[in-house]
Amino acid sequence: MKIFTLVKWTAPVVLAMVISGCGQDDEKTAEQDATPIKMWVAPNENEEAFWNAMVTEWNSLPEHHKVEFTTIPAASSSEEAIMNALASRTEPDISSNIFIGFASQLNEMDQLIDLAKLPGYPQLIENRHMGKIVPAWEINGQKNVLPIYINPIVYWWRMDLLKQYGYDKVPTTYQDIYTLSQRRADDKSGYAIQLTAGKNWWDRWFDFIPLFYAATNGQAYIADNKAQYNNAQGETVLTFMAKIFANKWSSYDFTAVDDPLATGQVMASVRGPWDIARYRKQYPTILESIQIGPMVTADGHPQPHTLADSKGVVMFKSSKHQTEAWEFIQWVFNAPEHDLKWLELTGMPPAREDLLTNSLFTAYLGHSPVEKQIAAFVANAQPPAATTKTSEIQRSMTQMIERTIFSGSAPIEALNQSAAETDKLLGQ
Amino acid sequence: MASSWLGYSVLFWFYPFVWLAILSVTQWQFIGTPRFNGLYNFIGVMQDELFWKSMLNVLRFLLYYIPIVLVASLLFAAGLKRIKYGKGFIALSFLLANVSSGVAYSIVFSKLFSEYGPINEFLREWLGFAIPWFTNPDCAMLSIALIVTWKFVGYYGLILYSGMMAIPKDIYSAAILDKTGRFKQLYAITLPMMNAQIIMVLVLAITVAFGIFTEPYLITGGGPLNSTTTPMVVMYEAAFQNMKPSWAATMSIIVAACSFALIWILRRMFEKNIEIV
Repeated sequence: MKIFTLVKWTAPVVLAMVISGCGQDDEKTAEQDATPIKMWVAPNENEEAFWNAMVTEWNSLPEHHKVEFTTIPAASSSEEAIMNALASRTEPDISSNIFIGFASQLNEMDQLIDLAKLPGYPQLIENRHMGKIVPAWEINGQKNVLPIYINPIVYWWRMDLLKQYGYDKVPTTYQDIYTLSQRRADDKSGYAIQLTAGKNWWDRWFDFIPLFYAATNGQAYIADNKAQYNNAQGETVLTFMAKIFANKWSSYDFTAVDDPLATGQVMASVRGPWDIARYRKQYPTILESIQIGPMVTADGHPQPHTLADSKGVVMFKSSKHQTEAWEFIQWVFNAPEHDLKWLELTGMPPAREDLLTNSLFTAYLGHSPVEKQIAAFVANAQPPAATTKTSEIQRSMTQMIERTIFSGSAPIEALNQSAAETDKLLGQ
Repeated sequence: MASSWLGYSVLFWFYPFVWLAILSVTQWQFIGTPRFNGLYNFIGVMQDELFWKSMLNVLRFLLYYIPIVLVASLLFAAGLKRIKYGKGFIALSFLLANVSSGVAYSIVFSKLFSEYGPINEFLREWLGFAIPWFTNPDCAMLSIALIVTWKFVGYYGLILYSGMMAIPKDIYSAAILDKTGRFKQLYAITLPMMNAQIIMVLVLAITVAFGIFTEPYLITGGGPLNSTTTPMVVMYEAAFQNMKPSWAATMSIIVAACSFALIWILRRMFEKNIEIV
């Protein structure tokens, strides 16, 4: 009796769904050409303001196919939101805020268009001065991502505090850091540097990886599907980090303090261009004393490499407006005025090599010394490795650092163990 | 009424359960149709070191959590029994912790227990030392156990309180006549007669232990040295960061089986049928 009642209630519902589902498919082919190009952008008010300006201008011209943008739906991460959309077939035509690791995963699932195969790609790269930047974004021979911005990872130094210790230039070597740390410990005024950015896997983008790039002049830490970071330079970097913690010259946990750089607990920390607006509002006098410093190295060589915290735009294979969407992307990024608008609204350097030579940008950067200094590092900034196992590999790196801090492991042992774990993840 | 409950169960319980079973024997990455691959996922998960480390972490958590929460809840229940006025208000105040947002209190506790947080500053100033609450692999799990105790002490305390109130007073009167001391009354009368409630609290505690996610994910990131990584954190990362939902589905089945087994062992060993004759 109960089963019959259940069938009685669910059968009409199921039948109705089937009928309405059939109906919709017939209408879809007529509607699809009229639907606007759907774009997802990062849930960040500055980036939204930029895309709002771009889309409004694009849509104002009648010959352009309308673009509609929304922020990536709320989820614990953009990646999760996009995966949910792909699973439920509600993904947009194009999306920004894609980093290279996620693009690699999408490439593996064959969800992205190879932009290099589209007409006008070489001209776009040349017009936007991206010739040296794009090779690092190749994924399995394809160019699925057009990088929008490059935030080079750099140290913000408090020159007002550095001057007290007799430094009038930013430190560039490990020895400088050791000396400064010891002096800070001696007068019990805090630490020289916030060395690790945090305990999560993504924090390795802000400590070990940029330091490794700096020590190796930009050598990849994953190549030929194997870990490459357990080499001599990797050992130098990890030994430096281990020594800082062994002498208690930095803390692994800065959660309590709102901003250790602002309070002076540290003299240097990794900060991003997004912090410029915050510092302008909350700590304007401190911002005036900030000078940008490179990743430190053993020999302090000039213009060391660093990591590019960088994201770009992708187009999904399922898009029914590939031609029109590509026209929109080309229109946005072929015009340097648009990149200037991006720089003005978000403070993040656009992914182009002529920031310090093009008068359009130099005029703007002249007003903001911190942004100008950051832009100088764009040329030497490279993205993380194009791997589908980003979070697992960086988790292994986190364990590697923690082993040297908490278990007192020798750096080379910790490196070799992490490299072995990474090799296993990559299928070696 | 029954058919609407059946409909609800089919949609929200049965269908996800069937999908879970399908995922555990297939290979699927959010796109397309799942591809059958037999026991490959189970064999893979059995060999996953991080997953078994997280299961061990759950046992470590229980080792800290069960004694602390039992003692705290018993004290709360005993205290509540003695209070004459304001019982409801006090019980509600403790229960507020249980309904607080996990994300909100995790952020608050991570700042409170931070190396330079207010608690350590106080300890440094008055006692000359600081405790590495979340920066020591051995201490971190204890700290999380303390936070989860704070969350559940009101809830478990009320369960134990109801058990305490159900014990007839004449048993205590008889014990007093026999000149039985306070402590002997506790472990000879109170605790055995509260067996059902204590078992219930232990079962709830075990269920909570296998399901912890928010605190390790937000406060410690699973560290240091994976000492606070819990199965839920591993499953979340497997499903949404490593794009392996099949793996995560398999893990969830194993976690459910282990938690069921542990509860079954607990009940076989400690559960007694108490009857007041």
